[in-house]
Amino acid sequence: MARSKIAKEQVSALLAHLGTSGTVIAPHAKGQKSFTFQEMSDPTRVVLDYPRTLVPPKKYFLPPKETLLTFDLTANDYARPDLVATPRIFVGLHSYDMQGLLRLDHAFSRGVPEANYLKRRENCRFVGVSYQPDEYHFASSVGIPVHATEGFDLYLSEVEGGYLLEVLTEAGAQLVTGFDQLEPLAEAELPAEPKSPGRLRIHYHRLPDLFARAYESAVWAEVSRRCTGCGSCNLVCPTCYCFDVRDDVAVDAKGGERVRLWDACMAEPFAEVAGGENFRHHLSSRQRHRLYRKFKYQSVGTEILYCIGCGRCSSQCTAGIVLTEIVNAIYEEQYGGDALRRVAYPSSEVSP
Amino acid sequence: MSAALVNTDSKLVEPYFPLQAEIVDVRRFTELETFYRIRLPGGQELGHQPGQFVMVSLLGVGEAPISISSSPTQRGTFDLCVRRVGMLTEVLAGYRPGMKVGIRGPLGKGFDVEAFRGKDILIIGGGIGIVPLRSLINYVIDRRPDFGRLIILYGARSPRELLYPEERRLWEEHPEIEYHVTVDRGDEGWTGKTGVITTLIPLLELEQARTMACIVGPPVMYKFVLMALKARRFPEESIYVSLERRMKCGVGKCGHCQINDLYCCCDGPVFCYPEVVGRKEAF
Repeated sequence: MARSKIAKEQVSALLAHLGTSGTVIAPHAKGQKSFTFQEMSDPTRVVLDYPRTLVPPKKYFLPPKETLLTFDLTANDYARPDLVATPRIFVGLHSYDMQGLLRLDHAFSRGVPEANYLKRRENCRFVGVSYQPDEYHFASSVGIPVHATEGFDLYLSEVEGGYLLEVLTEAGAQLVTGFDQLEPLAEAELPAEPKSPGRLRIHYHRLPDLFARAYESAVWAEVSRRCTGCGSCNLVCPTCYCFDVRDDVAVDAKGGERVRLWDACMAEPFAEVAGGENFRHHLSSRQRHRLYRKFKYQSVGTEILYCIGCGRCSSQCTAGIVLTEIVNAIYEEQYGGDALRRVAYPSSEVSP
Repeated sequence: MSAALVNTDSKLVEPYFPLQAEIVDVRRFTELETFYRIRLPGGQELGHQPGQFVMVSLLGVGEAPISISSSPTQRGTFDLCVRRVGMLTEVLAGYRPGMKVGIRGPLGKGFDVEAFRGKDILIIGGGIGIVPLRSLINYVIDRRPDFGRLIILYGARSPRELLYPEERRLWEEHPEIEYHVTVDRGDEGWTGKTGVITTLIPLLELEQARTMACIVGPPVMYKFVLMALKARRFPEESIYVSLERRMKCGVGKCGHCQINDLYCCCDGPVFCYPEVVGRKEAF
C-alpha cells in the first residue's frame, strides 16, 4: 500500500492526529535509562527512538493483576466484571513486540479461546517503528527482522531527517486520513534492514532440533549456579503468560475478589503439587523449563518459536545470565566449543 | 508465524465463572477423606466422562482441581471424594449438606471408554487413586454387557484408610467383579491380604491382548506397577494412567500443571501410557 515520508518535526503532529481516533499508548522515558508503554497525554513526550521498554505491551492484554470475580461473602454471591474491548492505538512497537503479541494471541486462542485476553485484543491498532539493535537484541537470530511488519497497520522506518511511513492495512489508512503533513513517495525504497549482529550460533530453524537433544545437557546445572530464581526473566518476557489465581478477601471480611496475577515458572513453588512434591525442585530444571517453553514445548505442531529476541530477560537478569549464551553453550556442547564456562560465570570472570 | 494460527472464528469462552452447586450429602470416610454428593442448579447433568475433573471453588478461599468419582450413568448428581491436604480441602472438610460450592467443568480428558468397549478392564488403585477410578468402575458396572471382565485391585496403607465401605462390600459380593484388596499393614481386625499393591499383579490370570489397565495412585506406585505389568508383557498402549498436578485455570493456560510439553489439565489427567512415557516430569 501507500508509502510517504514524514519529517521528524512533524511526528508529534502525527501522534496528535492518531490521538483523534482513540487512546494512544506509546513509549515514554521513565527515570534515567528506562522506557515504558503508557497512555499518551502530550505527543512531544513520546519517545520513538528507544532500545526496549522494561515491561512488554502484554500488560495491556494480560494485566499484571486482573479481577476474575468479585464476591460477597455475606450473601454467598459472586459476579464477573464485564469484559470490554477498549479501542486503543499502540504506537512505537518494535517488530519483536508485535510478534510477542501474536504469540500470546496463539496461546490464548488455541484450545479454549479465552475471552478475558481475546476481548481486550479487539479494536486495537498497531503502529510499528524501526529500531537499532543494541547488545541484547537478537530478534533477527530468531527470524524476526527489524522490518517485520506482520500485525501492524502502519509502520515507521527511520530515514534521514524523519520517517518513511508505510500504510499496511485499511484501518491504517483510516488512521492517517486527514493528516496532510505527509510527502507521498511513488517508488520509495524501504530503508535497508539495520545491521543485527548474529548472536546465536545456530539457525533458528534448527533450534527445536537442538533442544530435542538438550534435555540432559550440563548447561542447565551450570546456568543454575548463577541463577537466583527471582523470576524477573518471566515477568519481562513478552511471551511468558503463566499465571496464579488467588482470592483476596477485603479487610472487613465481607467480600473480596478472585484475581489472576502474573506468575513465574522460575519461582520454586510453581510446580509443587498437593502433598509437597515438586516436579521442578532444582533451579536447573526450572531454567530448562523456561527455555524449553521458548524453543520447544510451545513449538510442537506449530513451528513457531516463543522467544522473540527482545533481550529483556538478559538485560534485566539480576545475575547477569544472557539467554543467547545459554543457547550457544548448548550448541557448543553438541557441536564443539567452550561456551559452557561463560554460562556459569559472568564474562568478566572468564580467564582467557 | 501466520495469522491462521489464531482461530478468530471460534466463540470466545469465559472459562473462569463457576456454577453454584449444592452439596446434598456428606459422608466422612476416614480422618482425612470426605465424600460429597453434589447437585448442579436445576439438577442439570454435569455431562462428564469417567476420569475427568472439576474445579471446586470456595469464595474467599480459592479453587482446586478435584476428580469426579461418580459415573455419568448416575443421574441428577455427581460425587467427589476429597482428602484434606491444603487450605481449600481443609475448609471444604467443614462443609455440610445444603451448603453451596462453585463448580467449573467437567474439565480434561477422561478414560477412553469407547476404546474400552468389549475389553477386560483391570483397575489398579492405590490410596485415593480409587476416587477417580470409581467413576470408571461404576460406569462399567452400569454398562456391564459392554465390557468383559472387571478386575479391581485396591491397595491402601491400612484398613482404616480404605474408602467407599458400602461399595467395597458390593464389589466383594458381585458375581461379575473380581475384587482383590491389600493393605501395607493390617490391624487386629484385618483378615485380608497384606503387602503393597504390586504383590497382587503376578497372581492374576490375564489375557493381555484384550485387557485395558487403568492405574491411579501416588507417584511412587506407578513405577512399581508399571514394572509389574511389563513383567507380565502387558502392551504399553493398553495402559492408562491418571496424573495429578496443581492447577489454577484447568483450561491449558496458567502453566502450573505442565508435564514437559503436556498440559495435565487438557492433555490429561488421564493419559494412555505411550503419551507420557519418556517425559521426565511425568512420574
